[in-house]
Parts: sequence; structure tokens; C-alpha cells
Amino acid sequence: MGQIIIQGFLLSGLYALIAVGFTMIFSVGRVLNLAYGVYIMLGGYVYFVAVQMYSLPKVPSFLFAALAGVIFGVLTYQLLVKRLQGDAIAVEISTLILAVVMQAAIIVVFSPAPRSMWPLVPGVIYVYDVAVQKNILLATVVSWVVLGGLMVFVHKTHIGRAIRAVSMDPKGALISGIDPQRINLITWGLSGALGAIAGVFFATYTQLDPGMWVFPLITAVAVVIVGGIGSIVGSLIAAHIIGFMETITTTLIAAELRGVFTMLLIIVVLAVAPKGLFGKAEL
Amino acid sequence: MWLLGQLRWWLLFALGMSLLPLFISPGTLRIFIFANFLAMFAMSWDILSGRTGYISFGHPFLIGIAGYTTAMLTYHLNWPLYITIPTAVVTTMIGGTLFFLPALRIRGTYFALVTLAFMELMYHSMQVVQPKLTGGTRGLSGLPTLVSGAVPNYYLSFLVMFAIGVGLWLLIRTRLGIALSAIRMDEDAVRSSGLNTTRLKLFAFMVSAMVAGIAGALYTHYLGSIAPRGIFEINFLFTILVAALLGGAGTIIGPIIGAYFLTFLLELLRPYIPGAGRYLIYGVIALVLYYYVPKGLYSLFERLRERFFRPRPDPQSD
Repeated sequence: MGQIIIQGFLLSGLYALIAVGFTMIFSVGRVLNLAYGVYIMLGGYVYFVAVQMYSLPKVPSFLFAALAGVIFGVLTYQLLVKRLQGDAIAVEISTLILAVVMQAAIIVVFSPAPRSMWPLVPGVIYVYDVAVQKNILLATVVSWVVLGGLMVFVHKTHIGRAIRAVSMDPKGALISGIDPQRINLITWGLSGALGAIAGVFFATYTQLDPGMWVFPLITAVAVVIVGGIGSIVGSLIAAHIIGFMETITTTLIAAELRGVFTMLLIIVVLAVAPKGLFGKAEL
Repeated sequence: MWLLGQLRWWLLFALGMSLLPLFISPGTLRIFIFANFLAMFAMSWDILSGRTGYISFGHPFLIGIAGYTTAMLTYHLNWPLYITIPTAVVTTMIGGTLFFLPALRIRGTYFALVTLAFMELMYHSMQVVQPKLTGGTRGLSGLPTLVSGAVPNYYLSFLVMFAIGVGLWLLIRTRLGIALSAIRMDEDAVRSSGLNTTRLKLFAFMVSAMVAGIAGALYTHYLGSIAPRGIFEINFLFTILVAALLGGAGTIIGPIIGAYFLTFLLELLRPYIPGAGRYLIYGVIALVLYYYVPKGLYSLFERLRERFFRPRPDPQSD
């Protein structure tokens, strides 16, 4: 029981981080970025190259990974999404193609073989007799710090308020002197950074391989659908629903079944309450 | 006579393709067989998503249902193929109805996502639920084939593809087909003009599922094996989507062009770029083409034809 609660919270924190980067883009631009999984993969691989191939220290490598996410997010928006803006389906399809292209690129550079990542912090600590890997604990702590920082950013800073304004009403924001394209660009960069940071932890959680972008993308989609597209608070709650559901399935039934229940949840929620459990709350 | 006039390009196409095995090697023929199957999958996607605008990200779900039904029936029960393939088609159509339920309430992005969830659901459950029946992660192999050898398989796949192509092409020219594409433009307007959009959508789903069922079952028996990886996978979905979109969604001819184009692009690159790099170039070409010609290759041909032939305005085209 203790095991389920602790593991559930740890996994959910990571899922929340994965999902928030994904839902931000939808809030602001009303498009789904199916290349989001690529930022996660990119984060993992950049960290891997920096630490395990070039033996750089961990903290700068972590920042490199986040930077790579920012650059790739900005490039996706500038080169691909900007011109297709307004056509949500075209954006979804072109970002899906982009994801497959990046998967092929990773295979070319790193070969299709999976790589295992060293944990960021090795070792195990005991919380109420439950063994918890320090690495996963760190992932959860960092997730919460990043999410908290994000909340402060969107509520307290000027740019953050502009992001919220665009997500509520792009035309109104434009009239108030906000450039929605610039805000979109910032959001895509931010989303790339969040994805890449989540990716470093996700990769230590599982492993690095060229197909690893699919599972986090599907998880982000699930969290966002269950929470209601565009709602950060809804995403946090949904991340915990899905995180706990997976932990319970893994511990009590079978690890292979966790995906099945998540998918069933998506289908049921979409069929019963298409706006998600928490509708369209504020960003 | 009118019909014959409309179909003259199709007949020319059939004539050319049926002479093909005289000129090319069995190895190249196998590429054509794959292109034919891809064309069937892409047309199945097109009659639903290209026409009605309900973008399906889960077509591999339908194809997989067909493949698994016929695979399990032949593998475990040794039923003959002339029973299992029709059974698979019927099962796929039932699966298509399941697919249809969310479309009653949700559109656009949400619909695309729920179909993606269906596909992922199958991917996960096929590996763990009843692995004795489905073969689990490794799937089932050693399935019987309908015909053997490259030439008979080529003719079979081409014949089926051609029949589906002509059938769907004629269908989109009827009032029913036009109503389907009106749904894509403005569903509420179609409903206000007194048409039952639910029935129209159900019809599109059923036709799409039927085509997916036929193609999926035949493809499984052409390969002689089936596994969750390779079917319920985003890369497979990608190939189908890109074939339909690059060719030109909503036109039926477009997906055929797209399927041939993609298959041959991959083969043309083979001698120049070894290994995985091929898929990279192939994906980049797909992305650039989609970006600059979002209406597909078919629209390019149409534009050329208009420039050089200046046909009489065709009241049927939309």
C-alpha cells in the first residue's frame, strides 16, 4: 500500500511535467503538437551524449538538454507551424511527419539499438520502508519545482500574463498590443524546454531508443484529454489519476496492462465528457 | 457509354498495369504488390477522412482487426480462407461501428485522438490479453496464402485495388459521395438541408471499414504472418496518412498516386542511401511536399491538365 502511494506520486509528478509542456501549446495556439514526444527524446539523447560520450558534468549537460529543447521547439514553430496556423489538422499531420523524420534521424546518428542512461543520482533511500531510487525522487522534485516556477511565471510576469491573454482571446490580446506570434514562439520554446527536461528523467526511468517518443506523447495526450485540453490544473489532477492507475495496475495486476487502462480511460472520457473532466479552466 | 467515357483513364491504367509483369522482374513486382496494398489502405482512409473530414489516426486498428480475425481463424481452427476473409471483413465493419460511436459527439482534433487511443489500446492488449490466441508480442506466422508467387499475387492485389478504386471513385461522384464531402465543409449546413448526417457518417465509416477489412485480410495472407508491431504502430499510420495526403485527400485517385509515389520513392533511394538514412530522406521529402503542396500530387496533375488540355468544365467535379 505504501509502495503504491509513494510510487504513484513519483510517477505522477513526471507525467504532470510531460503533459504540461504539451497542453501549453494547445492553450496558446489551439493546435496539438504531435512532435512533442521528440523534445522528450531529444532531451534524453542530448544529455546522454554530453554525460556519457563527452563526460561533461551533469548540471551543464542538463542545461544543454533544455536548451536543445528550446531550439527545437522554436524551430518547429518558425519553420513549420507558423505558416499552417489556423489549420489544426494540417499542424497535427505535419508535426506527426516531423516526429517520424526525427525518429529516422536518431536512428541514423545513434543506430536503432537502445541505450541505457546512468541515473542522475545513483542510490536508493528508504521512505517508510519503501525503497525509492534517488534518481526518481529527484525527477519528481525537479518536476514540481519546474511546475511551480511555471505557475509563478504565467501568473506574475508580464510575458506570462501575455501568454494567458493569448490563450483566452488572441484577437483581444492583439488589440491590447500583444504580438500573438511572438507569444506563440515563446510558448513553443518553453514547451520544448519542459519536454526536454522531462525527457532526461524519462530516459533514466526507462531507456533511450528511437521509438521512445511515442509512449510519452500518448501519455501526454491521455493526461490532457482527461484533464481537459488547455487546463494546467486539470492536467495536474489527470496526471495523478493516470499515474496512480498505472502504478496500481503495475503492482497489483501486470506491468504490461498499464497502457490498456490508460487508453480505455481516454476512450471513456472522450465518449462521456468530450471536454475532459475539468473543462476549459484558466491556463 | 457515358460510364465508359468516364472510366477511360481507369481502363488505360488497368491495361498498362496488367502488361507490367511481362517487362519487370519478380523483385520489382513485389514492390508493386506492396504499393497496391498501400493504395487500398490509403483509399480506405480517404473515403472516411479525406471525404468527411473526420481525420482517423486509427486506421491500423481496423486493418489489424481484419488481419487478426482471419489469422486466428485459420491458425487455430483451420478454417478455409473463403470463409475467414469474409468473416474478417464483417468483424472489421463491426469494429468500424465502435470507431463510429465517438464521431457522434466529437469532431476534429478530439476525434483524431480517440482513434489514436483505439490503435494504442489494440497494440497493448494484443500483447497481453490471451497471448495464446493472438500469439502475443511475436504474433502468428505460417498462415496460409491465397496464391503463391510474385505474378499471381501481383494480379490479385492489383485486381482488388482496381475494383476498390473504381468503386469508390464512382461512389464519390454520386449525390451520396458529394453529400459526404459536404460534411467536411460544413456539417451543420448539411444537417440543416434536411440530410441525416448520422446516417451519412455511418455509411462512410462502414465503407471505409469494409475496404480496410478486405485489404487487411488479404495483406495478412500475402505476408503469411501478423504481429502487433508493424500493424498497430505509428509508423504504419504515418505511411497510410502520408500516401493519402501526398496523393491528394478526398479524391480516391490521389491515394493511389500517393501510394505508388511513396513506395517507389523508397525504392529509388535504395541504391544511393544505404540503411536507415533512406527513411530520413523519405520523411523529409514527405514533409516538404506536404508543406508546399498540401492538396497533393493529384492537384498538380489537375493543374497541368487544365493548362494544356483545357477540358470542358465538368459539373460533377467538386
